[in-house]
Amino acid sequence: MSYFDLLRLAWPEASIVLTALVVLAIGLTNRGTRPAITLLAMVGIALAIKNVLRLPHDAILFNGMLVISPLTSLFKIVSLALAFFTVALAQSESSLRHYAEYIAILLLACVGLMLLVGSEELLTIFIGLELLGLSLYVLTAFDKIDIYSAEAGLKYFLFGSTASAFTLFGISLVYGMAGSTSLAVLAQKLSVTNAQPLLAAGIVMTLIGFAFKIAAAPFHLWAPDVYQGAPIPSAAFIASGSKVASFVVLGKILLVGFDSARGSSDWHAMIAGWSPIISLLAAMSILLGNFVALAQTNVRRLLAYSAVAHGGYTLLGLLAGDRDGFSATLFYTTIYALTLLGAFGVIALVRRETGGDDLQNFAGLGQRSPLLAVCMSIFLLSLAGLPPLAGFFGKFYLFSSAFRAGANHGLLWLVALALFGSLISLYYYLIVLKVIFLDERSTTATAPAARPMLVEVATGVLAALVLLFGVDPSGLVARIVAALA
Amino acid sequence: MITLGNYLTVSAMLFTIGFAGVMLRRNIVIILMSLELMLNAANLSLVAFSRFHVDLRTSLPNYNAQVFVFFIITVAAAEVAVGLALIVALYRARRTTHVEDLTTLKF
Repeated sequence: MSYFDLLRLAWPEASIVLTALVVLAIGLTNRGTRPAITLLAMVGIALAIKNVLRLPHDAILFNGMLVISPLTSLFKIVSLALAFFTVALAQSESSLRHYAEYIAILLLACVGLMLLVGSEELLTIFIGLELLGLSLYVLTAFDKIDIYSAEAGLKYFLFGSTASAFTLFGISLVYGMAGSTSLAVLAQKLSVTNAQPLLAAGIVMTLIGFAFKIAAAPFHLWAPDVYQGAPIPSAAFIASGSKVASFVVLGKILLVGFDSARGSSDWHAMIAGWSPIISLLAAMSILLGNFVALAQTNVRRLLAYSAVAHGGYTLLGLLAGDRDGFSATLFYTTIYALTLLGAFGVIALVRRETGGDDLQNFAGLGQRSPLLAVCMSIFLLSLAGLPPLAGFFGKFYLFSSAFRAGANHGLLWLVALALFGSLISLYYYLIVLKVIFLDERSTTATAPAARPMLVEVATGVLAALVLLFGVDPSGLVARIVAALA
Repeated sequence: MITLGNYLTVSAMLFTIGFAGVMLRRNIVIILMSLELMLNAANLSLVAFSRFHVDLRTSLPNYNAQVFVFFIITVAAAEVAVGLALIVALYRARRTTHVEDLTTLKF
């Protein structure tokens, strides 16, 4: 293994870092205009996607520190695509005064996502988590004049660093018990050692950091503040990219590394392990997220609480624990990320025209700009899980895989809870749609200024994707299932 | 003779003290210091595990974790840099470094 090989296999990540440095340099010379920087970043991301496609089919470096497999390649592409759309959203965001720096940090966060997705070793996973986390804290607090942004950034930082300290301590205990940080070796060692309290503590503490990243209750406290207070592109990236990568890694850690410590969360046969803990997190997230979302009047905050609930649904696939379940989780989280990115695009446009993102700012959107209103309804109804949108198939796949898993439909209680939660969620999504289509146009809305083309196009493309994956999900599902084989 | 258990006890104590600091203190700078304590508790336990995991064939310790520790020290430094920058940003906007005052965003 020469360094040249390493560079070749890590070239997608390296090329994104190079793009970030070039963007930063252009920003320093003060010559770069926004369109030029945006174009540069988009070209860099597109080239990185091309580089991912040219990677070899399978490769493992340094005990799994860098793994290249169909699964990691697929999700590197998904991460890059999410970053691409986020750059499109950022282009017209007026609150970002140092645009080049913003884009550079966004690209570094994207490298964090790719590291997270592409590694099966606890040290690299931790480094990826921190690279992602530290970039996202800065992105959240980027609007230095806005008091909400700084506060949201600091809250995110405090919760996030505490959670990652727990994860790190957990990793150190797991390492101590198993003598290795590679997930494959870990799985082998854990299957022969019997349960020890120190190991159990290590596993639980490791999971806390991921529960924080996916905003599962009771580790969700940061999510509403960050979704509401951060600049819109940052919030969109946190809600989409960070979540997808965290679910991929959490799935790998649970189903590969800690597989032998699974236990069971069947209602008739609970066995200690990570499964009961995760099922408890899922149940709490579904209930808390949906009920608290009912009371929200700010659309971004409402999306945040619904994100908590969706995190809970997505955990069902990991609880099912077989290949079907994991692929359902991956499919659902990908669809969810696309949907939420689109919804934030609409919010960005509405905020630009009306100066806010409370429910009343959306009043009369149906008359003002019917196309935008249709896009928003596609996103919200997909989140609610109505056919023929992608969210419906995603939920169906997820719930049916959880229903079939285990003996005697042991996860039935969680599936029933999730269905109940979806029913509640329909109510608050429909309230937003009611405001958009039926309420009178608010007087504060100024005449629509020239809309930024890029955001409109990105939102339209995302709405089309959500519709497309709903009508014909087989392409993406087949790809994920093939990648997991 | 100092055993692995002694090191782990100290490390667990450091972690607990750090976590208590994060939970109980109200000044953000002190909270940041407590966070560092939590990270260093993990460092201590990693090094201890590394020292006591002797490979039977080569009778060398398992050096993986000692490399890990260098990475963590770097990450901790980056975390402090970002944390202090956020505190400065907050102080400029609000003139405060106390967590009780972070209450404009809530339910």
